[in-house]
Amino acid sequence: MSQTGADLLKQLEDIFESDPLIDEVGFVHPSQFDLLNEESSISSNSSDKAISQATKSTASSEGCSEQKNKSFWNKDHKLGISTSILLPLYKAAKLAFMTALKQYKTYGNQSDEIGNWLPASSSCDLQSILMRHSRSLLLLSCDFMTAWNCRKLVVSKKQQHSMFLDELHLSALVISYSPKSEQAWNHRRWVIKSISAHCSDFKDLLRKESELVEKVAERSKMNYRAWNHRCWLISYMDQEQAVCELKKSRSWAALHVADNCCLHYRSRLLLKMMEESGGSEKNESSGYKADIKQAWKDELDWNETLIKRYVGREALWLYRRFLSMYWINNFLSDSGGTSYNSNYCDPFLENEFCLIDSCLAVQDNEFADFQSQAVYAASYMLWLKVQVPEPLGNVLRAKMRAMDLKTLVDNSYQERSSLFNHFMS
Amino acid sequence: MGELATDKHVKYILSVEKRKDDFESVVMEHLRMNGAYWGLTALDLMGKLDAVDVDEVVSWVMSCQHDSGGFGGNVGHDPHILYTLSAVQVLALFDKMDLIDSDKVTNIVGLQNEDGSFSGDMWGEVDTRFSYIAICCLSILHRLDRISVEKAVKYIISCKNMDGGFGCTPGGESHSGQIFCCVGALALTGSLDLVDKDLLGWWLCERQVKSGGLNGRPEKLPDVCYSWWVLSSLIMIDRVHWISKEKLTKFILDCQDKEKGGISDRPDDAVDVFHTYFGVAGLSLLEYPGLKPIDPAYALPVDVVNRIFFKK
Repeated sequence: MSQTGADLLKQLEDIFESDPLIDEVGFVHPSQFDLLNEESSISSNSSDKAISQATKSTASSEGCSEQKNKSFWNKDHKLGISTSILLPLYKAAKLAFMTALKQYKTYGNQSDEIGNWLPASSSCDLQSILMRHSRSLLLLSCDFMTAWNCRKLVVSKKQQHSMFLDELHLSALVISYSPKSEQAWNHRRWVIKSISAHCSDFKDLLRKESELVEKVAERSKMNYRAWNHRCWLISYMDQEQAVCELKKSRSWAALHVADNCCLHYRSRLLLKMMEESGGSEKNESSGYKADIKQAWKDELDWNETLIKRYVGREALWLYRRFLSMYWINNFLSDSGGTSYNSNYCDPFLENEFCLIDSCLAVQDNEFADFQSQAVYAASYMLWLKVQVPEPLGNVLRAKMRAMDLKTLVDNSYQERSSLFNHFMS
Repeated sequence: MGELATDKHVKYILSVEKRKDDFESVVMEHLRMNGAYWGLTALDLMGKLDAVDVDEVVSWVMSCQHDSGGFGGNVGHDPHILYTLSAVQVLALFDKMDLIDSDKVTNIVGLQNEDGSFSGDMWGEVDTRFSYIAICCLSILHRLDRISVEKAVKYIISCKNMDGGFGCTPGGESHSGQIFCCVGALALTGSLDLVDKDLLGWWLCERQVKSGGLNGRPEKLPDVCYSWWVLSSLIMIDRVHWISKEKLTKFILDCQDKEKGGISDRPDDAVDVFHTYFGVAGLSLLEYPGLKPIDPAYALPVDVVNRIFFKK
């Protein structure tokens, strides 16, 4: 006999009671359950046995142990939910949540009007029921905003630090199976904003938050929501932390060269360093400026190495545009001068010309990546021409004509021809 | 590639509404108001809005409104600015603006923050999408004077990046969807002169990949929904001639399910109502024959926008 949605919901919530440390949830096809059970029987240890016995005893008391094993799988703080029960489970969770929410709101309105007409314990019961059901619902429908909102409401009324931390745990759990859930990331920001003022180890929390994004980004490529969250954290960081993040994210970026998000994150960290360096007298010293310039040079060199190693990666070239734009505006030698002529030679620009030349040289190669590399190099040259101060623009235009970039673009990427025509005229 | 299978798409959109017994469709019920806007606008662009029961839709929309004036994504769901705009747009499609208590909906002005940004609801998340929504909504209701437009514009400009694009908040990565919102909001407030059109146009036209489709960010796969976001932005800043319209038209048409109707994100993927709307809207911007023209800033058919502003 098949179980009702309400039975399934109770089982799910019992599992959470018995194993509050669940840190990963996934939907599993029924055919994979036997395999999971087999694996877990091989590798179980004593502490896990205790947990699985706890869940078994709850289940057998309801006389559906056998069925349960086909609906849920729980071990090592991981939870699998069978895809075959998602629909009835969802319907039951939604009904239970909506009913509890209605009661909670009615109670809230009445108590506002006529004082505490219910004993305090009923209010607490209602709150904990609401928290139970909203959790179940969010595990099935991660962007069910009303369920996140009611949790915010309950938590903000109680103002207990541990409850705020529980919300971080739940949203991380939702993110474990739905890394793009906008509402789950929003919820984390709401929690962090709420506790930022009186959290004793806030720096540590920021660090952990940043690590969470990195972990998620490993499985979920170019995840805008996740990286946006990491960028948002920068506003809470001091310079020391920003520098530390910059160091830490370098190796990750080098392993994920197509992930524009990480490079954008680095650009924000670099700008944060620049921002912090302005203003204070200590930082005005020429020594400090030289340090900043060196940091920028290092980033340019690192990016160049990657461009040469990973051929045809758009994100790397766009990052170079950002780096060189900043360099041109801040460090270009004699940038305000008027003495540019065709023989003018700035070491930064000379280096860029060399890089572009070397990337154009492979254009005869038939591989698409090499053709892309040549088009990115040509576009980068155009970018430099647009960014440099006016007299230098003419020098670069002449250089571009000599390189015959227009023909290259017309031949290998015709869609970009109008863009080139616009900026070359 | 062939032609736009209009009749099939109309049938598909009407059928989506009736699907209620699989997990994939019920977990989307919290954003049904957005779904209604996508489906109904697509129908209207194809000239088939009369295929739905107006009274049924309109009374459902009104049942999602809260005392605060805001709308929820479905009956019993909390209000949010995301659903409020969709509700107003749906009522505008059906010429039922008289059902809206404009003063009540105008309460969304309370969501503007000191720095000019907008929160999506009482819980305070800020995003340039919400700036666009508030501005678009208030403009449709003829209440734009109720917010500080100057501050709203200033905030949007503070989200501009060095690549010319815009993100959700200051410092956020450029994203085509966010760019549409920022450019749309600037267009509706007459502030497009603040956009570096060459720089932004450059970034946007580089979203076109070899297949002709547009992506939302560098290194991403093309996706039909960006036919709307990138294309409408390019039109608003007058740089649409920097991409190949022919190739884009072909890409969208290749994403049709020509048997069962509907449009997917990429050729041969599963269709959904979201991509069906953005595909049809993109083709409308590309002046595809047989489709009504759509306004790139209001995201409503041009005749609906004209009715809002020139009626009587």
